Amino acid sequence: MAKVTLENVWKLFPGGVVAVRDVNLEIEDREFVVLVGPSGCGKSTTLRMIAGLEDISRGTIHIDGRRVNDVPPKDRDIAMVFQNYALYPHMTVYKNMAFGLKLRGFPRAEIDARVREAAEILGIEELLERKPKALSGGQRQRVAVGRAIVRKPKAFLFDEPLSNLDAKMRVQMRAEISKLHHRLRSTMIYVTHDQVEAMTMGDRIVVMKDGLVQQVAPPLDIYHRPANLFVAGFIGSPPMNFFEGRIEARGGTLYYADAHRNLRLDESRARAAASHIGREVVIGIRPEDLEFAPDGDGNDSTRRLRAAVEVVELMGAETYLHLNSGSGVFIARVASGAAAKVGDAIAVDVRMDRAHLFDKATGAALG
Amino acid sequence: MRNRTALGELGKHLFILLILSMALFPLYVMISISGKSGAQFAGAPIAPTAPFHFGNYARAWGMVSNYVFNTIFVCVTSVALTFALTLNAAFFFARYRMPGHRFLWYFFLLLMLMPGIANLVPLFMLLRNLSLLNTFWALMLVYVTGGQVVQIYILRNFIEDIPQDLFDAAEVDGASALQQVYHIVMPMSGSILSTLGILQFIGLWNDYILPLIVMRDDHMLTMAVGLVRMDSEYVKDWGALMAGYTLASIPMVLIFFFTMRLFVKGLAAGAVKG
Repeated sequence: MAKVTLENVWKLFPGGVVAVRDVNLEIEDREFVVLVGPSGCGKSTTLRMIAGLEDISRGTIHIDGRRVNDVPPKDRDIAMVFQNYALYPHMTVYKNMAFGLKLRGFPRAEIDARVREAAEILGIEELLERKPKALSGGQRQRVAVGRAIVRKPKAFLFDEPLSNLDAKMRVQMRAEISKLHHRLRSTMIYVTHDQVEAMTMGDRIVVMKDGLVQQVAPPLDIYHRPANLFVAGFIGSPPMNFFEGRIEARGGTLYYADAHRNLRLDESRARAAASHIGREVVIGIRPEDLEFAPDGDGNDSTRRLRAAVEVVELMGAETYLHLNSGSGVFIARVASGAAAKVGDAIAVDVRMDRAHLFDKATGAALG
Repeated sequence: MRNRTALGELGKHLFILLILSMALFPLYVMISISGKSGAQFAGAPIAPTAPFHFGNYARAWGMVSNYVFNTIFVCVTSVALTFALTLNAAFFFARYRMPGHRFLWYFFLLLMLMPGIANLVPLFMLLRNLSLLNTFWALMLVYVTGGQVVQIYILRNFIEDIPQDLFDAAEVDGASALQQVYHIVMPMSGSILSTLGILQFIGLWNDYILPLIVMRDDHMLTMAVGLVRMDSEYVKDWGALMAGYTLASIPMVLIFFFTMRLFVKGLAAGAVKG
């Protein structure tokens, strides 16, 4: 069992800096949890407190039911993979991977067996006698992962391990880490600022901002039911489009209205918005929920937005249209064959059943 | 254009040869006289003569061997003990923070301003009170404590440049602070340590003042003092004297040849980091 529990955990630095505020989190055995957020949100600090590399200012951390606040890192039975690999430059790959086992007094035969087993899993058997400077970035990261695997720890901690890799290698390593998780069936806690990594790798995502946990949920729940404006805007690429307006009631139907838009709320959204009639709200619409509507096809105008095309981004499989409706730019994700060029005045229809409403004052999602 | 370049190069080379000659001339004189008899020296003090009297070296070895072994023992032990202390102290200053650490650090820097010669009298009295006069410990304790200041300063800056992640990884791997010094800091600072070690070794090897005031017995003398005493006692036997000086130089030359690569690398590393 390798359950990790954080209860009311705070981290305060000298000078009054609050890096982590009252984090409560339960990570189940064999779960892959991703901590995601912008730089400075406290995700790495939280990870380092779990590892024991940072003291805990307040609260408690339990690993497998054992309170570890005052337990040094080497006795927590965790292994960590660092952003900059942290390979010992004067040691060969073999010695890098064997170092932790050697310090713990493992017999030489067992060290050798574990190192070779991990090397085989990661496909780095031929690199064992090389030094880190003779390896590529992806190879170094694999060695760093291998150094963690040989320990057979209760939990793996990853601190932005793919940040220093190029885009192609990142995609490859993402898949390899996911495969590793399925193979090893271990608890993994993964920190990243990349929401694509978070969405593709985690069983659950913990979104953080300014030291606070914003939402904890499986990836699709985070995506389709963001708890607040920050989560909605942070997860998803291109990001969600936001418009500020009010909820109006006309003839028994609720509308979102602002200076340039008048959108009828879908039944499911209307129930959530009922408490906010006359109040200011923010409506969030994902780029893929805007459908390109060539003029004159008779679609419902209560969900139509008219805008001018400012930028056309051809992505190959799809096209991003940067549109300006007079109150700022928003992005629509349309099929690659959509006929629109810069300067065109076009219309897009909103999938109102997928629109998100947020209280403007608090940022919290309605309903 | 080609002729002017060749002339320029020739001029540079001649200048370098001149400087080299000035540097090597004393060495030549020493080796040349070391092989002369008294008569050869009287006839031609500097010019090479034949035959070369190797017997001077046999006599000189009898005179200086004790000084050589004493100096090697004192220098090697002092350098080793200094490293043992400075590595750990520099590691502490680089990696740990405690109340008053800044004051402690500035206090160390202040010690660098203290001229050693100003402490000579109180130092002598302290060693006398500790009954350490005329012992190797008197030399080694002073060398070790005195050698730490600059080494801690240099090593601390070097250790601070080692990425924090390496120490974090070592900590997670299970390394204690001492193990981090041994497995991480020491191997990574090989070139710096070699440079510091060589510089300290040379300084201790040539030290004259402290052994002069601390040591009384002839068999306890180190090289620098012993050779000067030889000069007074054996002032007429120039051949044996210079042979003694030559023998005394050999360990340093050997050490430098074996460690030159690391020494230059250490100097270069310091230059790049600066």
